[in-house]
Amino acid sequence: MDAMRVTYLEEANDLLSNLERALLALETNSNDKSYIEEVFRVMHTLKGNSSMFGLPLIAEFVHDLETIYDKIRVGEMALSKDLLDCTFLCLDHLKIIIHDSDLNNQINRDNHENLIHQITDFINQKKSDDTSKNSENIQPSLKTFHITFEPQPTIFENGTNPLFLLAEIASMGKSQAIPHFKSISKLTDYSVDSCFTYWDIYLETEKTDKDIMDVFVFVEDCSKIEITELPGINLLNNTTFTDLISKNQYQDLKTDKEEITSLATSLLTEVKPETAKQEVAVKTTEKTEIVAKGKKEKTISSIRVSSDKLDELMNLVSELVTTQAGLSLFVANNKIAELELITENVEKLSRRLRDTAFGMTLVPINNMFGRFQRMVRDVSGVLGKEIEFITEGGETELDKTIIETLTDPLMHILRNSLDHGVEKGEERIAKGKPASGKVILKAFYSGVFVYIQITDDGKGIDVEAVRAKAISKGIIKATDYLSEKEVFDLIFYPGFSTAQKVTDVSGRGVGMDVVKRNITDLKGSIIVDSKINEGTTLTIKLPLTLSIIDGLLVSIDSVNYIIPLSVITKCFSVNNKDMIGSFNNLIVLDEEQVPFIHLREEFGYNSLAAGQSQMIVVNNGERKVGISVDNIIGEYQAVVKPLGKYYKKQDFVSGASILGDGTIALVLDTNKVIDLYTQNTQKEEKSWQLN
Amino acid sequence: MKKNILIIDDSESIREVIAAGLESAGYNVTKGINGQDGLTCLENNPSVECIITDLNMPIMDGITFLKEVRKSEKHKYLPIIILTTESQEAKKQEARTAGATGWIIKPFSKEKLINVIKKVVR
Repeated sequence: MDAMRVTYLEEANDLLSNLERALLALETNSNDKSYIEEVFRVMHTLKGNSSMFGLPLIAEFVHDLETIYDKIRVGEMALSKDLLDCTFLCLDHLKIIIHDSDLNNQINRDNHENLIHQITDFINQKKSDDTSKNSENIQPSLKTFHITFEPQPTIFENGTNPLFLLAEIASMGKSQAIPHFKSISKLTDYSVDSCFTYWDIYLETEKTDKDIMDVFVFVEDCSKIEITELPGINLLNNTTFTDLISKNQYQDLKTDKEEITSLATSLLTEVKPETAKQEVAVKTTEKTEIVAKGKKEKTISSIRVSSDKLDELMNLVSELVTTQAGLSLFVANNKIAELELITENVEKLSRRLRDTAFGMTLVPINNMFGRFQRMVRDVSGVLGKEIEFITEGGETELDKTIIETLTDPLMHILRNSLDHGVEKGEERIAKGKPASGKVILKAFYSGVFVYIQITDDGKGIDVEAVRAKAISKGIIKATDYLSEKEVFDLIFYPGFSTAQKVTDVSGRGVGMDVVKRNITDLKGSIIVDSKINEGTTLTIKLPLTLSIIDGLLVSIDSVNYIIPLSVITKCFSVNNKDMIGSFNNLIVLDEEQVPFIHLREEFGYNSLAAGQSQMIVVNNGERKVGISVDNIIGEYQAVVKPLGKYYKKQDFVSGASILGDGTIALVLDTNKVIDLYTQNTQKEEKSWQLN
Repeated sequence: MKKNILIIDDSESIREVIAAGLESAGYNVTKGINGQDGLTCLENNPSVECIITDLNMPIMDGITFLKEVRKSEKHKYLPIIILTTESQEAKKQEARTAGATGWIIKPFSKEKLINVIKKVVR
């Protein structure tokens, strides 16, 4: 594929996901014209691109779709559920045919025919009973008002609460209310029965001054109310303006009407060209102009960089950080005053560079949320359940590789929630819950971790059912005592499923064990919390980025290793003779028997005769395993680099990090170390058991 | 928590119309048939957060009722909305002076009613 075509595909993919997002938004806010504009604009760009790249079939197809949305845009047609459904189908079709632009595949060709037929039907539909045409056509114009509201001190006496009126004003648009307390002169004059406060309110709204006056209808006789329309729009977004009004607030100055008006006028001259342009763009039917405008905004906010280039940048930056660490070490050993200063600067710069570069690979989780919206929409349709899907914290950023790997597990969890979690409408009503279920997907930061939570208000996990199932499958014994948490964790056991039957929706061969493995691979963890009939929450904890990990730097026979801090639970100092003399590699730590691996021995060094070793206790799935090393050097923020091809098969090492003095420390994957050890020893003596 | 609203009107149909409108908007409604009955209702339902009252009623009219309520320390600041018609501008003023918080002009739509209630109860 040539480079041009790659660019087209990249952009087309982006456009299609924008289109999907806009369509979903349009479905929930069908009256919001801006989404129709967005849908139309995206279609138009896609059409333009496709014809420019010599893909007439796609261009024509999109053109027909665009025609429909153009009609909706100008109010000649009404938006309907059928149309949206059809558009979604077309969207899916487009996703496929951008890779098969000549329709070589018979299925695609049939689909194409069929959809074109549907689209033409929509286009030919006579203007339906669209009564909202006129109201839709009127462009509501925003105006900014300055309102002075000075109630008489006696206003409370007939049961008026002025704050309710302020709240009503606030509900009309964007507003800022500034209270003034000047009229309270002395504390002795003060009385709780009287109102001493008056307000300056700024309101940006589509409503008229008459509508605003209506708010004060009960109090107009006993208050002083002045409403002035200020020239200009978006005043509340203008910092010069907001600075002035907040200054008045802090100094408790009564706002001078003329001052405000003249300020607004002066701001207007600054803003005007843009406003004028906006109006032209809205009014004109010349489509290209709108598209051009939309495109321009986009190029300013972000540029497209291929992820290879980004990876290369990250690599170079890590090299730089490593080299700089070497330089710092050299200066520390060689006391050269001039160089010290330079080194310090280099250190500062490289740290900033590192932060910026790592920041670039972080992308907002939002990118992933769109796909989920669509999936929830489709799946709830199939299941015949009404589901409200709420996403929060879309702006939370995560490393792009993590996001890519996370999509499938999250899809699976969401499908589970929809299928097994949320009950059908009638069942919910019988339980006294609202008929429509709620699924919340939330992302947030905490420390160096990102948490992703999937919450549903469905039937919850039945502890007894899970237990019974686990016993019948022989995963646990009937006599085993398990805490609630341990029972929940059983759902991650391979081959475990509480579903009575495998359905279309969730039975896709992916189990929760795969989900768990994916997340563990990302150095993350997953916790289940559930209450019967109240719902289930799954919390996934992930490191911000994969390429920098917090590790513990340890050494065995003067060779350095790094163990990720995330798996370590505790470190102990142990006598070597306890280890060597121990039975079946078990050692008592904190009055608990812990199986351990004598790493020194495993790595082929001579055993230590006497003295102390460090025992690092790590999590291995459900159990704790000790790993012995000679020394713990300390905590270390490691830039993890991949190893060359000779180490490809050594998967107990997940990477390497270059230390300040240029030496290399291998990053150990403790789970793999333990697996490998178990396999090897089991081969030697079949009866060996870690537990 | 649902807000409690007391309606006082001597016409049963008006009472029912208002009650239906308010209940569908999520309010609890208590009904009184005149000012005197309204006072009893208020005494029995101390959690009332707003009163809607008619003006012309037998036994005790709206204005007298208003004055009575405002006399009580407990209900001094309780929002009271009066029902009036366009032609009763003078009556409206009288009610204002007696301590009415606001008014609803008859006839009115459900939206209008709810909007007015929202102005005084939150």
